[in-house]
Amino acid sequence: MDKKINLSQLADLMSEAGGMSKVASEQFVKNFFDIISKGVLDEGIVKVKGFGTFKLLQMENRESVNVNTGERFTIEGHQKISFTPDAELKERINKPFSAFETVVITEEQSAELSDVEITKEELPTAESDNEEPVRIEEETVPVETVPVETGSVEAESPEAESVEPVVVNKPEAKEPQVKEITQKRGTRILLKIVVYILSLILVACLALYLLWPLVGKALIKSYADKSKPAVETIKPVARESIQVIEEAKLEVEEAKPVIEEAKPAVEEAKPLVEEAKPVVEAPKPVVAEPKPTAANDAQPFNLNQEDQAKALSKFTEADTVNYRIAGRLAVHTIEEGESLTKISNKYYGTKKLWPYLVKYNNLGSSNSLMVGSKINIPRLVAK
Amino acid sequence: MNNKEFLTELSGKCQMSPEVTAGHVQTLIGVMENLWNSGDSVSLSGFGVLEVKKKNERVSVNPTTGIRMLVPPKLVLTYKPSSLLKEKLK
Repeated sequence: MDKKINLSQLADLMSEAGGMSKVASEQFVKNFFDIISKGVLDEGIVKVKGFGTFKLLQMENRESVNVNTGERFTIEGHQKISFTPDAELKERINKPFSAFETVVITEEQSAELSDVEITKEELPTAESDNEEPVRIEEETVPVETVPVETGSVEAESPEAESVEPVVVNKPEAKEPQVKEITQKRGTRILLKIVVYILSLILVACLALYLLWPLVGKALIKSYADKSKPAVETIKPVARESIQVIEEAKLEVEEAKPVIEEAKPAVEEAKPLVEEAKPVVEAPKPVVAEPKPTAANDAQPFNLNQEDQAKALSKFTEADTVNYRIAGRLAVHTIEEGESLTKISNKYYGTKKLWPYLVKYNNLGSSNSLMVGSKINIPRLVAK
Repeated sequence: MNNKEFLTELSGKCQMSPEVTAGHVQTLIGVMENLWNSGDSVSLSGFGVLEVKKKNERVSVNPTTGIRMLVPPKLVLTYKPSSLLKEKLK
């Protein structure tokens, strides 16, 4: 790999392959390239079948700019030897990459490729030390895509002669090219769908994560006994208010035809206006009425939410793991205005231990505490 | 100088029949092709270097139609004349 093979090494390999003596093959190889260089210099063109064409090109004077100083100067016209490999040889050399085809880029694809493009357009210039192959590529591109124009391309430059065989082969290669493009599009669409689904899942996970505190609250709600019934009672009230509003809406809608009926009456005859007006005014109070009720209903609901939050915060402060129950400490008769936290504070000096009261008295739903009822106060021993 | 003229001249110099020469030319090209396929370059003093270069993929734009095309990467056989040969051109 990446070795530089010189004349004698080439001759050795040649003698192995062709059954010639080393001396004869070396002489042969030497003559081969001597004649090519001599032919190019003398006649300007040498064609070797199966190898390629060597040609002498006349470069015209051209203006250029000194990159460092910005000065303009002329590059004097000179002659240049170009080499165009035979189409068959070219194809065989390009075999590892022969699966690739030129693809027409559509608008949406160009956006995806925009970053790639920059690097691409820089690279050919980086390899510009031999400009010839690059130019050949450029010539083949339009020929590949527009096979009809081959005649004009031929006429434009004699170099197209070497390109011609490629053109002949191209229509055959077109079909797989189209297939490839459709396949690529298919995979692209599949990718898009997959990305879409993944993003959906991600959004769902995020939503779950964000809503978790609410869900958690809902779970805790079942323990926060005091607030629960209140919520339950409030909900129907809220529903009732919604119903009232909806009924009111219906009434308004019913009233509208009345208004509409009234309007033509106004247009037809002025004396009727006085009669029509009360009809128009009539539905208005109906609309106004449900609003206060809705507002009133909403307020207790908000208050209740606050209570609930308080209960929750108390609950979260509660201590349920650091003590164990060891017998009865006392019997307590509940008085008005007392809560479990207050009782806990009274006997243990802290509000945090009320869950033990619930546990010891089997108060599944502690809202059933009645004034005058008795509960047992457990003796708590620290674990 | 076309292929036929080239073969006649080469056969004259090597004192071989044009048919045999043509066979040897094809073997020589085959040997060189194997070298290029394995990534080696053929360097001949007084003539130049023949090697395979990889051309990166690029976006080409048809100047008349504005159609953008992605040209795939390719392997191209390149020839760089030696400075000795260049000198002779002047």
